[in-house]
Amino acid sequence: MSINSETMKPVTNLERTSAMHAAFSRFFQGEGARRLRTFAPLIVLIVLCILITLANPNFIEPRNLIRIANSSAVPLTLAMGMTFIILMGSIDLSVEGALSVAAMVLVLLASNDANTNEYGWLAVIAAIAASTLIGLMNGIIQTVLRIPSFMATLGVWFIGLGTSVYMLGGSAVRLMDNSIRSLALERFLGFPFAVWVALAAFGLAVIIQYHTRLGRHILAIGGGEDVAELSGVNLKRVRITAFAVAGFFFGIAGVLAAAQLGQSNAVIADGRLFAAVTAVVVGGTALTGGEGGVLNTLVGVLIVTVLANGMVLLGISPYIQQTVQGLMIIAAVALSLDRLRLKIVK
Amino acid sequence: MKDGKTLMNFGAMNRRTLMIGAATGLAVSAMPKRLFAQAAPTLVTSIRSLSNPYHAVWKTGAEAYAKFAGLEHVTLVSEGNSEKGIADIKAMLAKTGGNMVLNSDPNDTPDARPIVEACKAAGAYVVTQWNKPADLHPADFNPNYVSHIEFDGVSSGQQIADILFKAIGGSGGIIALGGQISNTAAIERKKGLEAALAANPNIKLLDFQVANWKSTEAFDLTSNLLTRFGDEIKGIWAANDDMGVGALEALRGEGLAGKIPVVGIDGIKAAVDAVRTGEFAATITSDPFWQGGIGLALGYNALMKKFDPASEPPEHREFYGKVVSITKDNVEEYYKTNVEAQPTLDWNDLWGRVVGQIRT
Repeated sequence: MSINSETMKPVTNLERTSAMHAAFSRFFQGEGARRLRTFAPLIVLIVLCILITLANPNFIEPRNLIRIANSSAVPLTLAMGMTFIILMGSIDLSVEGALSVAAMVLVLLASNDANTNEYGWLAVIAAIAASTLIGLMNGIIQTVLRIPSFMATLGVWFIGLGTSVYMLGGSAVRLMDNSIRSLALERFLGFPFAVWVALAAFGLAVIIQYHTRLGRHILAIGGGEDVAELSGVNLKRVRITAFAVAGFFFGIAGVLAAAQLGQSNAVIADGRLFAAVTAVVVGGTALTGGEGGVLNTLVGVLIVTVLANGMVLLGISPYIQQTVQGLMIIAAVALSLDRLRLKIVK
Repeated sequence: MKDGKTLMNFGAMNRRTLMIGAATGLAVSAMPKRLFAQAAPTLVTSIRSLSNPYHAVWKTGAEAYAKFAGLEHVTLVSEGNSEKGIADIKAMLAKTGGNMVLNSDPNDTPDARPIVEACKAAGAYVVTQWNKPADLHPADFNPNYVSHIEFDGVSSGQQIADILFKAIGGSGGIIALGGQISNTAAIERKKGLEAALAANPNIKLLDFQVANWKSTEAFDLTSNLLTRFGDEIKGIWAANDDMGVGALEALRGEGLAGKIPVVGIDGIKAAVDAVRTGEFAATITSDPFWQGGIGLALGYNALMKKFDPASEPPEHREFYGKVVSITKDNVEEYYKTNVEAQPTLDWNDLWGRVVGQIRT
């Protein structure tokens, strides 16, 4: 957190009103079609919920809603970090590396069945710090060595994964610290603590995007890097900070994943990169940057989770579930962006 | 001019050295192979990765055998890359001049053929496990291709299903979590489950879902299935332990751990621990420690002419190995001999775990 504190200076009232204005104008101004498009992911989500409920009323049982919330916790936290990177028009492929490093640091420092460490909640802080450092590394490699984020983070992904495989010695190490495991097992107001942590992460992401200078600079870079630079945005600093913030979120997700599964192994992060990018894109954030935000991502994560839950509830054969997911991604992206407005499609 | 002369002399020297070198080389290669065979052979293990517990134990078994036989042992890791796997083996064959024994878990089914052909050409002895094309037979590469070992997925899937059905009292609903759709082991294990279901009409398979061998996917799927079927679920069948552990953690989140029994295959430590606490009804292990050692033992004994592969019966050339099931009854003993200490196996018992010839 200390890394971000400098850039998270409170903004003046004037700046805040204009930021809020910008957010509202996205929703309430412009032509009808554009407004509809902004809300497309939300409409998709609602229609999906209604259809699944009609087919199987068990869907809206509170117990199931809690399960959906629980399944969303890790992807939501991951996707928060990913959103900032995609908003900049970059990509962070190191999700799986960062997550596995965080989970590895956590289980090896908290009480476990492989060594005698027992640092308790200090392990959580160390895990998040390790992941933040990885994010920082991404940012520095990208800006100082001038390597595109795709390659820089691809490299860091394997560095992270390799490190955690090496440290875990190839086996699954179990997390025995009951207070950390209670993140997944204990409940507050019916929801597991993991869900509250994910919601807190979401709240933090909303604050960063709509109420800090960093958030607006990220959006500005995504909208047009040269214009942002001419307007006095310090590109290097914003990029490095954004990647560190993303690493911070990945670290929280790693802690939640290890707490949920009660163990950490080399494959704990498998498939998380795809899930995070899908959620961000389905929510309506453009891969080209500058369009969308963390609110969209929340909807995107819910669409993906509800769809997975719904397909099991409807008894759709596992053999065609992947096909449905693929169709869903294309449909959501087609609905949420004005394709005709795009000059270049590559 | 002087420079030119030096250069010429330098070339002449080199040519002479080359001739001497070539002559030595020719002489050496003209010597009978037997001379080399008297040097101790190198034991070589070729596996997919060290990042999964299964192959990590495999390597321990291989090292235990190398110590038993008093030979040098090398582990090659393909990292899931077939080209690298094959190239590393060829490099090793070149380095040892074919005086080696290879125990290989080929990364992919087609890889077995080039590996076996290279070993045959170099005169090395090879044992493959799990993966080989159906038309590749050890008997066609006498004596170098000693054996191919697999484990009967159908019988493993059936065995854990039977234990699960007994644990839930012979009737009720179960859910099943399978491995990757197109994977041979996943298909076979599912077939075993289906056979067990056919023999137990009182057990109802509520749903079969694919969790791709992963605990994270099994975790989410199990939560969703709990919504769909609720109390109807009496037991969970998982095609491997990692998925079983994911399902168990989902149950724990709902306060159901230990109330709904889970079964899996592989015998990873988390599953063995869960059998001890009564949360798993059973797990099955192909015993990678034995796999790592026995492949080298077969090859080494064939190389030392302790037996002649060509005269062995077909069920010693392509066979299913015996699996060990770990249940409440034997878990304490298994834990003592396999988890807390290294197992001690009789490496001279080459054919003790053969359960039959591989079905074609």
